[in-house]
Amino acid sequence: MNAVVQTAPLLEMRGISKAFPGVRALDGVSMTVHAGEVHMLLGQNGAGKSTLIKALYGAVHPDEGEFLFNGKTERIHSAADARRLGVAVIFQEFSLVPYLSVAENIYLGREFPSRVPGLVDHRRMRAEARRLLDSLGMSELDAAAPLHGLGVAQQQMVEIAKALSQNARILVMDEPTAAISGHEIERLFERIRTLKSAGIGIVYISHRLREVFEIGDRITVLRDGRNVAALAPLETTVDALVRLMAGRDVNSAYRRQAAAGAGPVALETRALCAANGLRNATITVRAGEIVGLAGLVGSGRTEFARALFGADRIISGEARLNGEPLPAGPAGIVRRGVGFVPESRKSEGLALIRSVQDNLLVSGLRRRFPNRWYRFKTAAGAAATLIQRLRIATSTPRRRVQTLSGGNQQKVVIGKWLEAGSRFFIFDEPTRGIDVAAKTEIFGLIDELTAGGAAAILISSELGEIASVCDRAYVMRDKTIVGELRGDELTEENILKLAMHHA
Amino acid sequence: MPESAVAQGWSPRRIPGVAYALVGLGMFFSIFARGFLSAPNLVNVGAQSAILLIVALPMTLIIMAEGLDLSAGAVLGLSGVTLSLALVQGAPLPVAFLLALAVGSTFGAINGLLVAVADIPPFVATLGTMGVAEGLAVALTDGRSVVGIGSTLPALYAGKFIGAPFAVWAAVLTYAVFHVLLYRTRFGAYVFALGGNREALVLAGLGANRYHILVYVLGGLLSGFGALLLTGRMSAGHPTAAIGMEFDAIAAVIVGGTRFERGNGWLPGTALGVITVGILKNGLNVMAVSSSLQVASIGVLVIAALLVDSIRERR
Amino acid sequence: MKSARSFHIPPIVYRMISVALIAIALAASTDAFIRSENILNVLRQASLTFLIASGLTLVVLTAGLDLSVGAVVGLSACLTGAAVKATGSIPLGIAVGLACGVVIGIANGLMVTSLKLPPFIATYGMLWIVYGINYWYMAGDTIYGFSDEFKSIGNGYALGVPIPVYLMIAFLILGTLFTRNTTYGHEIYAIGANAEAARLSGIPVRARLVLVYTLSGAMAGLAGVVYLARLGSAEAGIGDPLLLPVIAAVLIGGTSLFGGSGSLCGTLIGALILTLVLNGMNLLTVNAHWHPLVYGGVVLIAAGLDAAARKWSDG
Repeated sequence: MNAVVQTAPLLEMRGISKAFPGVRALDGVSMTVHAGEVHMLLGQNGAGKSTLIKALYGAVHPDEGEFLFNGKTERIHSAADARRLGVAVIFQEFSLVPYLSVAENIYLGREFPSRVPGLVDHRRMRAEARRLLDSLGMSELDAAAPLHGLGVAQQQMVEIAKALSQNARILVMDEPTAAISGHEIERLFERIRTLKSAGIGIVYISHRLREVFEIGDRITVLRDGRNVAALAPLETTVDALVRLMAGRDVNSAYRRQAAAGAGPVALETRALCAANGLRNATITVRAGEIVGLAGLVGSGRTEFARALFGADRIISGEARLNGEPLPAGPAGIVRRGVGFVPESRKSEGLALIRSVQDNLLVSGLRRRFPNRWYRFKTAAGAAATLIQRLRIATSTPRRRVQTLSGGNQQKVVIGKWLEAGSRFFIFDEPTRGIDVAAKTEIFGLIDELTAGGAAAILISSELGEIASVCDRAYVMRDKTIVGELRGDELTEENILKLAMHHA
Repeated sequence: MPESAVAQGWSPRRIPGVAYALVGLGMFFSIFARGFLSAPNLVNVGAQSAILLIVALPMTLIIMAEGLDLSAGAVLGLSGVTLSLALVQGAPLPVAFLLALAVGSTFGAINGLLVAVADIPPFVATLGTMGVAEGLAVALTDGRSVVGIGSTLPALYAGKFIGAPFAVWAAVLTYAVFHVLLYRTRFGAYVFALGGNREALVLAGLGANRYHILVYVLGGLLSGFGALLLTGRMSAGHPTAAIGMEFDAIAAVIVGGTRFERGNGWLPGTALGVITVGILKNGLNVMAVSSSLQVASIGVLVIAALLVDSIRERR
Repeated sequence: MKSARSFHIPPIVYRMISVALIAIALAASTDAFIRSENILNVLRQASLTFLIASGLTLVVLTAGLDLSVGAVVGLSACLTGAAVKATGSIPLGIAVGLACGVVIGIANGLMVTSLKLPPFIATYGMLWIVYGINYWYMAGDTIYGFSDEFKSIGNGYALGVPIPVYLMIAFLILGTLFTRNTTYGHEIYAIGANAEAARLSGIPVRARLVLVYTLSGAMAGLAGVVYLARLGSAEAGIGDPLLLPVIAAVLIGGTSLFGGSGSLCGTLIGALILTLVLNGMNLLTVNAHWHPLVYGGVVLIAAGLDAAARKWSDG
């Protein structure tokens, strides 16, 4: 277990910094990886983990800092560089081809030539893949099986085998257990132990803190793009890690003024299950309330929101808005006064090539122009009012929404629901990628809306936001609701505890 | 389980659709179309299907790469015109044939560049080159057949080798080459990746564009080859004789189970699809159904195949 | 910030200027061009292209495509011809032509929305189905000998201007009102710009898509009637060569293949540019055999510019 090695580490990342417009994603992050250790990389969403990994395989170029491999400084410009230096990454989104065999996927781009020039020696490639899979304890995988017939867990194994077949000395695993469960996780851990004994250094990212104590040798915790702790599992506890990840200083600049008096029930769901995987979700939201929906990425928050909005099909259970069942499909639901600010503003929230005005008016066309005749004067007036009310910074309403800043784009999305006359709002990560000032404005707006009797569901990965902005919060894990927090219980730490897998 | 299910392209689960269509149509015509089952007629089906197979094979790869080649028929026509004009000018057959291949692959390369590099949607890009190729073919010939191509090519086409017509051998050999190409070479694997997960090619440091272009070049090249057979069959070059053949080819590929998504292609299915289309046309012909309704029935067949997909998916 | 302040000339102005330039160039190179008879002829020709292209423009605005329009023109012309010939009733004939287009358009719309087929493949299959039915129905016949009253729809003049030009102006105004001044039009642009965002904004996307394919079919059906009246005789192949020029007109009119931007005014200008170029070629006695090449080339250039503009604006 003890991996203290005197020789130079396999990899040392020194003072890595990277700034994106408006965000300092990495601020002098350092981390070392030794041969034969599992180094856990922890942090909330947005702490900088994925940027660090991207820098390691050449997808992001750091502004400052250096990478030392076996004590030697190296530059990583591309995936090819990373591969040459012995870095392999197991991606959450698989880099696999559905209609090729397992063996062909493992050796894609490095096919075995046959004695006949130009041809591939499938027999040898399969045999080699077979040997590799056996050595990794993946004997149940058929090297000749087509990939598309495999389950997610098996595809994950192929992805791991592919990474290891490149003779990687440093293996990065980005949430390898996100798609698998139970004994499959046990098997993965066994494999990781085998890899360790073979002298491979592993960087392991996970949101399941229990795993830290099962296979971790060392821990690095990031918060807001900085190192906040480097320690060993024996020195710490789940609670301590949670505190480290959450931080004591709440970074949200906004605090809800006063919890509004709860009005009548606006939304009620009972054992809601949807085609997107959501299961058994039961919540209540009252008029005047801001109810948080917390949980880690993939916990089912977005699925819940999409099911409520009719974007994904409901299979069973009940959803009632103001006492009446919700209609099927977004068009009907919008008419009932529900507005949805989706997670991905650019692909789901806006028509980027159209003007600010067109985007502001799109959901309220039927309400604003009941006889279907579009009056430009009315439209311009409505748009101008919204631009003023939301303080959208745009030179003219005719400007393409594409050219606006993230915060202003988000205000346009919210504006279109004001125009539609919505009384029930679903905000999915409304503050992602926007600056602090705009965040404060957006929360102020949500506050104002609910003070006026509307109800809101707020989904956010920034737990500080949920804790400071919401009246109550439901926590999700594994596509279902696992708990409700209200009053003094509503703290970042309590949310994290519920959201993470630990005993 | 066969040792190399994927590598061989045989996956038992995927046979149904086209096999049912093939057997069903075969039985239907055996019963209702007098003379359908006769040996000469079946040889006829084979010969008629030969050129179609030669166009449908590269079309399979193109569709797997989420593309489409609407110019295949027009390029085949232009290649045929080139071939015949060269023969009329007295060029030896191999030289004329090489010219036809060159014209075909040039158009293929243009298609590939338009789709892979210029990012024009494939159906529009190839519709444009279809117009260009058709225009050139018609303009070069003034819309008339090119006659006087000599007797070498027609004789070659009419020849039989070991009991089967030249065209059938050409098609079988082409099929074998494509089967090896798709299932036994690196290029083949990359074709699966083009439609299945382009990012995988990029992450493997291979880049995707050159393979994407190459797929279209193959399409053009094989149109050039098809021109040899068509010109031989008609003993003349006709600028518009192959117009619409791309539709039969696309139909055969889709009926054979290849789809526009995820690099889901199946070469044996294309061969079966070609035979299905051939049987459908021939059977209707034997039943004296007009050739135009044959075209409509192929359209119905394609949409039915996609409809079945859509119903299965919903379940 | 800088892009908003810089003075922006709408692209449509450039297109108008190019129309003027082409016209001036033609006037300078041949005396025949500025004869009023020729200019009226150009307008008449452009109006036929515009009628078909206007419906197609709506489809392209939603990022879709309707490859069946040419075939629909053909079938509509033939059915209308048969109906007028049999009953002598012009309103009935127009109704038959329109109905034919509407039915096919609805079928296209349902294939795209309910079966979720890619628009190009659904309408491509439909193209060949309609084509086959039409050739079968006509069986090589030509219908001719219509009353002058009927023929005047395509040939006639009112106040010295051809009737189809009035139709063009009427549909330009109606269509522009529809796309600009009704909420339907705004919804159509929104769908084309981002279909998922439109759906999540509460727009009934499926219903609107069915509507645009139906309108596209209806306009092609109506164009079939006018086309028949213009030619004075109907045969099956009447609509076949129309697809390419119509797509060319939409694209040079500046409607983006990727959806969400473009206008009917643009399409009108596109139709004018195309007709002027062809007219010039005719006047300069270039063989009509070159037409497909010109159409194809125009489609490629316009689509290439469109794709390049998109890349440019993306980053």
